[in-house]
Amino acid sequence: MSSQKSSAKPYSSNWKAWLAGALAVMPLSIAVIPWGILAGSLALDAGLSPFESQAMSAIVFAGAAQLVAVGMIKAGIGLTSILITTLLITSRHLLYSMAMRAQISPLPLKWRLSLGFLLTDELFAIIAKNKDQANQPLNPWYALGGGLSFYLTWNIASAAGILIGHNIPNLESWGLDFAIAATFIAIVTPQINRPSILICVLVSLVCSVVCELFQVPSGLLIASLLGMACGSLYAKATGEGE
Amino acid sequence: MITLTILLMAAIIFCSRYLFLEPRLPLKLSSNILKFLSYSAPAVLSAIWAPIVFIQQHELSISLDNHYLISAVVAIILAITTHNTLLTTVLSMALFFLLRFYQ
Repeated sequence: MSSQKSSAKPYSSNWKAWLAGALAVMPLSIAVIPWGILAGSLALDAGLSPFESQAMSAIVFAGAAQLVAVGMIKAGIGLTSILITTLLITSRHLLYSMAMRAQISPLPLKWRLSLGFLLTDELFAIIAKNKDQANQPLNPWYALGGGLSFYLTWNIASAAGILIGHNIPNLESWGLDFAIAATFIAIVTPQINRPSILICVLVSLVCSVVCELFQVPSGLLIASLLGMACGSLYAKATGEGE
Repeated sequence: MITLTILLMAAIIFCSRYLFLEPRLPLKLSSNILKFLSYSAPAVLSAIWAPIVFIQQHELSISLDNHYLISAVVAIILAITTHNTLLTTVLSMALFFLLRFYQ
C-alpha cells in the first residue's frame, strides 16, 4: 500500500485515520442494523436463497434499492422495471461522485474503485464532515475506515436477518432512524456559516418533506438539487464570499 | 434470474457511484458547477433527515408529542453551541430514547 504521505497530515498513522473514519460512521452503522436485518429477512421471504440474499448485500450494497427490489421480486415484477427503479433510487450517487471528483479522481485505481464501491449516503456524510472540520484534502484511509466498517455492519446485519428469517421483531418501531437524523443534524448545522447555506438547507428541508408527503419519486434528489440551486444562485446574486 | 437481477443492480449502482470518479471521463467541472456542488452535502443530508423528523405515520407532525422533532431541535441547539458532532449525536439520541421510554 502506498502511504499517501501528502494526505495523512491530521492523523499520525493510516491506522488512526482508518479508526477515525470507523468512529465517525458508527452512529450511522448502528442506525442501519435494523435495515440490514430487514434486507436479509425480506430477501429470504421473497424467495431468494440464503446465499443469494447475502450476495445481494455483499455486491449490491445499497439499502433502499435492495429493500425495494426484493419487494418487487416478491410481487413478481419484471427485471426491466426493477432496474429502472434501481436507477431512480441510485441517481443521487451520481451527485456524490461528482462532488467527490476533485478529491478522489486523482487517487490510484485501487482507491478509486474501493471508495467508489463504498460511496453510500453515510460515507458521503462523514467525508463532508471531515472536510469541514479539518479543511484538509481527503485522507483515503479515513474514508476507507468509514466505508469498510459500514459495509461490514451492513453485511453482518443482513446475515443476522437471514438467520432469524421470518421471526424478526418489529425493529422499525424502535426509532433507530433517529440516529440518522441526529448524526446528519450534527454534521450539517456547524456548516451553516453563510446565508446561502442556510437558504440551501431550508429549501431542501421543506422540499424533501413535501416530496415525501406526496410520495414523489426521487424526492430526495429533487429536494437536494433545488436546495443547491437556491443556495448557489443566492450566493451569486449577492456576491457572497467574493 | 435472481442472479442476473443482483448482478445488473450491482452494475447500475456501482456505475452511478464510480462514474465521475474516473479521471479519464472527459469532464471539466466549471467553477460555477463546483460552487453548485459545494452545496451538495448540506442539501442532501438535510433532505434525508427532514422527512425522518417531520413526518410520522405518513403525516406532517409538528407538535410536542413528536419525540423526533423535540430531540432534533435539541440536537440543533447542541450542534450550534458545542460544534461537537459526537457529543451532539450521543446526547440527542439519549434524550430521544428517554422520551420514548417515558412516553
